[in-house]
Amino acid sequence: MFEPGRLCVKIAGRDAGKTCVIVKRVDDLIVLIDGETRRRKCNIRHLEPLEKTVNLNEDASHDEVKAVFEKLGLVARDTKPKKVTERAKKQHKKKVKPVKTSKVEKKKAVKKVAAKKTEAPVVEKAPKIEEKVEAKTSSDAAAAYVKDEAKK
Amino acid sequence: MVAGKFKSRTFRRVKITTPGGENKISYRHRKPATPKCGSCGAVLKGVPRARKSEIVNMPKTAKRPERPYGGVLCSKCMRAKIKDQARQTKI
Repeated sequence: MFEPGRLCVKIAGRDAGKTCVIVKRVDDLIVLIDGETRRRKCNIRHLEPLEKTVNLNEDASHDEVKAVFEKLGLVARDTKPKKVTERAKKQHKKKVKPVKTSKVEKKKAVKKVAAKKTEAPVVEKAPKIEEKVEAKTSSDAAAAYVKDEAKK
Repeated sequence: MVAGKFKSRTFRRVKITTPGGENKISYRHRKPATPKCGSCGAVLKGVPRARKSEIVNMPKTAKRPERPYGGVLCSKCMRAKIKDQARQTKI
């Protein structure tokens, strides 16, 4: 019943309901099928044989099966993998990693900064010396005031 | 006081412990009925039993088996149907 060239309908799996032809008998239970389904091994329990048979050599290629199916008005499925096109890879910017410093080094650095601060010479601003000489007594102040008035 | 809509058994009750340590009752929606075969009534495998809003976010392949009549008929009924169709068709 399940000899090469027998048309069948697959009744299980995602290819269920699709017509195929037996290409090769692999085992008591297993056959190689091709056609509307993918070219694959299949358990004969998952196939429903049809009345019609086609002339097909044992272990025929997919092209031969395709030609036979075209005569029957069916479309054989091409299972060729898609051509892989090369895509331009994205170039990521390299991140500049901060240089890791240990805790001891950090402490040393802090100490150095503190030492520098203390060592730096502190420029003390000299206090402005007032030119005006303050009057020591009230009588002197009065005399100075009179002198200023006279000058004016 | 519980809101009126929570008094019926439309919502299922779940006992929860709040972050504060209190034991309270939380009201959740019930799951819908299990999906069944349209022909024999068997429970369908590979079809999730979840609310519509959860199913919407699932990928298509997680919603039903990827075969003819997937998610409608069980595999046995599907095979029987396709066998019948194959016997009737003539190439």
